[in-house]
Amino acid sequence: MFILIVLMMIMPFQQKAQIEVKNAWMRPGAKDMNSALYFEVINRSNKADTLYDVKSDLAQKVEMHETYRQGDMMGMRPVKMVAVGANSSFKFEPGGHHIMFINLKKNLKKGSPGGEVTLYFRHAGQIKIKPEVKK
Amino acid sequence: MRNFYRLLPLFFFFLALLTSGCKDKLPVKDDLSNAHYVFLTQDSSRVVFPQNVKGKVVVLGLIFTHCPDICPLITNNMERIQKEAKKEGINDISFVSISFDPLRDRPSVLKEYADVREIDTSNWVFLTGRQSEIDSLKKQLHYVSIAGDTTYSESGEPSYFFVHTDRITLMDKEGRTRQEYKGSSLNVDEVMKDIKTLSD
Repeated sequence: MFILIVLMMIMPFQQKAQIEVKNAWMRPGAKDMNSALYFEVINRSNKADTLYDVKSDLAQKVEMHETYRQGDMMGMRPVKMVAVGANSSFKFEPGGHHIMFINLKKNLKKGSPGGEVTLYFRHAGQIKIKPEVKK
Repeated sequence: MRNFYRLLPLFFFFLALLTSGCKDKLPVKDDLSNAHYVFLTQDSSRVVFPQNVKGKVVVLGLIFTHCPDICPLITNNMERIQKEAKKEGINDISFVSISFDPLRDRPSVLKEYADVREIDTSNWVFLTGRQSEIDSLKKQLHYVSIAGDTTYSESGEPSYFFVHTDRITLMDKEGRTRQEYKGSSLNVDEVMKDIKTLSD
């Protein structure tokens, strides 16, 4: 009985997070200009989750966008949310989905600390990340 | 020996055929050799494009510096080409980025854009200018950029983006465009092969 109680106490700490965000990085950008954030979301749970908001003090405005191609033209458009299926992953990557930082409040140089970004998931709640600034 | 002299014209015929084959691989697309576009560099120096890079093979990209995803890919790919050209000892080459958003991209903004990305500007120039000059160049290059709606931040800062052609252009030493690549996703080896065809 004692062992069972100890195991029950330890198990929650040994479980991996249901949503993991890894390889977060941002492009360099000068103050008052824009940058983009990229990362991978891994959903280890048996139900889908949704990233519905992103907040950060790094820029005046933070939005989720996707890049699209039409013939030899390319553009970007905002997306309201991104669903990550059960036991699957989703990549925010150059030329695809990205988090847009509009009007940066400071210079983001390669190697400098990017600052904190909070991702809001429907089920997993808030996840804070500190992206690396690189090219 | 007599046979050798008989075969000589044949040898030159095949040599000429081979050489013309190389040129045909990169036919002239648009001739800008007599064009005179007046621009300002990131250091506010006045230059006449493409006269300022005549005698160099030119890797040309059109960008707007507020672009967070596509134009940085174009710039990154130009950097990859620059590094490869340096590694291969190709010196008769220039890199040119021209802004199609002169309203925001003043020379100082272009300088910040290059500085914050630590771009090697020893053979790379960033250009901006009058909207009319840029529009003429875009027309000559069959390049399209369309501004989207403007939104405003809490502090009233305007923000707009462009839908635009995704292209890096290769120009020969006379100022004629010879090849075009997808700017955001190109094969550096393929570009290097074409650069070597146009280089000494």
